[in-house]
Amino acid sequence: MPRIPGIRRAFRLPWSSASRVRREVDDELRFHLEMKTQELIDAGIAPGEAQRRARSEFGDIEHTRRYLNDTDRERMRDERRAEIGDELRQDVRFALRQLGRNRGFTVIALLTLALGIGANTAIFSVVRGVLLRELPYRAPNGLLRVYSSLEGGLTTASVPDFVDWRRQSKAFSALAASYENTVNLTGSGTAERLNQASVTTNLFELLGVRPALGRSFAPGEDLESAPRVVILSDGLWRSHFGADRSIIGKTMVLDGFETTIVGVAPPEMRYPSSVDMWLTTRFSQRDLSASSRGARWIDVIGRLAPGVTRPQAQSEMAAIARRLALQDPAHDAGYGTYVIPLRDDMVGAVRAPLIVLLMAVGFVMLIACANVANLLLGRTAARESELAVRIALGAGRGRLVRQLFTESACLALIGGALGLALAQWGTWMLVAIAPSDIPRLYNVRVDTSVLLFTLGATIVAAFFFGSIPALHTPSDKVALQLRQGNRGSRTGPGSSRARSILVVTEITLALMLLVGAGLLIKSFARLRDVNPGFQPAHVSTFTVTLTSARYATLEQQRLFAGTLLDQVRRVPGVDSAAVTFGLPLSGTSFQLSFDVEGRAAPPPNAEPRAQVRVVTPAYFATVGIPLLRGRSFTAEDKPGAPRTLIVSEETARRYFPGENPIGKRIRFGWNRDGEHLAGEIVGVVGDVRQRGLSAALTPHVYAAFDQWPVDELTVVMRTRGDPTVALRPAHAAIAALDRDLPVYDAFTLESMVDRSLGQPKFYLLLLTAFAVLAVVLAVVGIYGVIAYTVQQRAREIGIRMALGASAERVVGMVVRRGATLAIAGVLLGTAASFGVMRVLQSQLFGVSARDPLTFVGVAALLGIVALIASWIPARRAARVDPLTAMRAD
Amino acid sequence: MDLLQGTLDVLILKTLSWDSMHGYAISRWIRQRTDNVLTVEDAALYQALHRLERKGLIESEWGLSENNRRAKYYQLTQAGRRQLRAETSEWRQYAEAVFKVLETASP
Repeated sequence: MPRIPGIRRAFRLPWSSASRVRREVDDELRFHLEMKTQELIDAGIAPGEAQRRARSEFGDIEHTRRYLNDTDRERMRDERRAEIGDELRQDVRFALRQLGRNRGFTVIALLTLALGIGANTAIFSVVRGVLLRELPYRAPNGLLRVYSSLEGGLTTASVPDFVDWRRQSKAFSALAASYENTVNLTGSGTAERLNQASVTTNLFELLGVRPALGRSFAPGEDLESAPRVVILSDGLWRSHFGADRSIIGKTMVLDGFETTIVGVAPPEMRYPSSVDMWLTTRFSQRDLSASSRGARWIDVIGRLAPGVTRPQAQSEMAAIARRLALQDPAHDAGYGTYVIPLRDDMVGAVRAPLIVLLMAVGFVMLIACANVANLLLGRTAARESELAVRIALGAGRGRLVRQLFTESACLALIGGALGLALAQWGTWMLVAIAPSDIPRLYNVRVDTSVLLFTLGATIVAAFFFGSIPALHTPSDKVALQLRQGNRGSRTGPGSSRARSILVVTEITLALMLLVGAGLLIKSFARLRDVNPGFQPAHVSTFTVTLTSARYATLEQQRLFAGTLLDQVRRVPGVDSAAVTFGLPLSGTSFQLSFDVEGRAAPPPNAEPRAQVRVVTPAYFATVGIPLLRGRSFTAEDKPGAPRTLIVSEETARRYFPGENPIGKRIRFGWNRDGEHLAGEIVGVVGDVRQRGLSAALTPHVYAAFDQWPVDELTVVMRTRGDPTVALRPAHAAIAALDRDLPVYDAFTLESMVDRSLGQPKFYLLLLTAFAVLAVVLAVVGIYGVIAYTVQQRAREIGIRMALGASAERVVGMVVRRGATLAIAGVLLGTAASFGVMRVLQSQLFGVSARDPLTFVGVAALLGIVALIASWIPARRAARVDPLTAMRAD
Repeated sequence: MDLLQGTLDVLILKTLSWDSMHGYAISRWIRQRTDNVLTVEDAALYQALHRLERKGLIESEWGLSENNRRAKYYQLTQAGRRQLRAETSEWRQYAEAVFKVLETASP
């Protein structure tokens, strides 16, 4: 049976359509019937009869036709699927081979992508952990923080207000109060200072937290008379009790009181913060009495009742606040309430800067993609003849595009994998260097949703930089060029324009990042220049709290402080030492309202207020607060002597304008043991920053420690040389006095100032890193484009030089092209920054978000760098030997 | 005589074991080989051919027939050849076993 080989190829198409299947089935059946008919005719049967018999002997033709059609179509589908799989495998192999061949290109592209994806993933993991992750409590969306508010400012709540809220509110199914404090743990080895939260007994149930061991608090255990009970944190249970499961029912000595351990919290319980243990509130009758309504010091959270929305809760609470203000205007006039979702409340302060960082790192990713797209475009140009040959050999444009995409995808996936490794490290590093006052950092890890984010970013990146070269695949006209022997063919003006747009975009984005970083740097410098009001160098501090029965009376506290100071002053290297209650910048707040004697009583809640500090005489000299007027405290300001006070300059300015405060008498509402804190102002000292270097000045009033002893003693020591050296012997001195007194919060004042700069420094560091990365990438981009232009125009340049153009002219010509791109990018970037930098305003101190100096400086910097990047290839162009260049093609 | 269930496939594979053929030739060959004892309905034959092709046991291509007409030729694939070998030995064992039983003279 002869058969002509090769005919198969002529009929073979890449894959068949349904109509082709139908046609072939018809052809096959017709052929059979005709052959059969012929056979019958040859056997002597009449043609008509032969045809009829051929059909009838065949069987059910129509059913067979359908069957063959279906079977073949299924077969085609399978084959097509296999074929695409084959092509993909082929494309991937080819792509990897291509990438392996162009080492330089591959390394730069992968590095760029890995940095972009890695930085994005790391920042996203922080954003996810801090901002996005749900609180680990039951139905977290129903949890609200409840504040008292006065003139738009938020404050904690007072105990009587909380009790009234709880009684009157219907919008909340439960309200719970808490406050954080420290507690002395004694009786087991060295004394220790631990963090505790005192909470109302319903807190655990409100949050939906079930103790991992034991039980949570029972109603009534927050009464002052109830036996003391404690729930341990998972961390403390493991570190101090070896995860002993039989711990329930045992006791521990806290602040000198036997306290029964009733439960161990699960590790995810971190409200109100990561404390070591939870105690019950035990509000005293005084705390609960109406006279304490003005003392706002507890944190309140609530759980919304089923079906109640936040606005409904807000309006109900506002109504309650209005009633309370009418009922007790002396304390509550002007006070409202404000409710906010608990998670928003926890992360409120870091939301803006983190979102800025996420945007910034997104810009870096865009720049990275633009750069890779640029590199790919350059390479597509270089591979034009290869592509043209493949078109000529019959590869469809679709197939070529698919193949280019495969290359991009391979690049993106490898880059993504490298980026992920980088992100693991980056996330770890971010958490390590992040200031500890960023909330919820313990939540940050690379988890499934972070992995999905990375995958998504990778795919988007692949499409972004893959589509640009794919759009510029040479079409048939390239094949034409090939035939014309134009071997040095170049991609058309379209590709060149695409590259220019990419570079301008890169510069625009880089400029925006640079402006942002510039603003933060300037703001940080301003912040550092802020005079904290004291001289932190050479000063160290630590704190002890006198809680045991040994220091029950004020006299005992005063005497202990005196002995303590004597001991500390004897430590070698210590020049002076003092005791204070509350340090500047530490966040310790003890704000009281006061009256000036001889003045008409101000309306409720409009009285003068000041931070109250209680200090020994040497305090001002020791921390370096200047005495401006009058005198400092002396040993003569002792118990029994007339009470004296010293005010800060801000107090004098705000509350004694145009008057001399010295000699005036003021009286605080603070009532201790039946006595108001009151006294005569004898001096004025310089201001210190209270809440932070960027916060407004707060008025301060200082009282003499001997006249107003307190139980929390913060010791400050000025030393010669290294301030940390004195800490250890000072601890030893205290242990010698009382081994049950734990020493805590030991640090230098310089580190305290640094800590107050922690967050701005962290954001500054990251944004600057991203800006630098962006500039490097953008510069590589502009360099690449100019170098490519030079190479493309080598012949033209050669001709120009042969015709007498000077090297300078050639350099000028090339640099001008770079300058055009740079200026376009810088202008666009400046305009965009002008609109966008508003988002930074809340992070800036002493600098406008449109600070012209920063804008101009940054634009100039980036412009110069871009010019240098284009000057380097330009110089190379000028060194071109005209003859070589012209012969090159 | 009608074909036993499942016999047609192996007959087709055997028919194609020497050379590629088009459907009509296969039909004619089977008729001649079996001296017209086995009747294979053409409809069933074509359905079997396409089914075998879908299974990858045979493949087809268009070629020119002896009278210069375009015809669809079938040939064995590697898998088809393996299948034929396996089925042949199976058939032999089966047939021998059946014969043994049928030729038994006494119980």
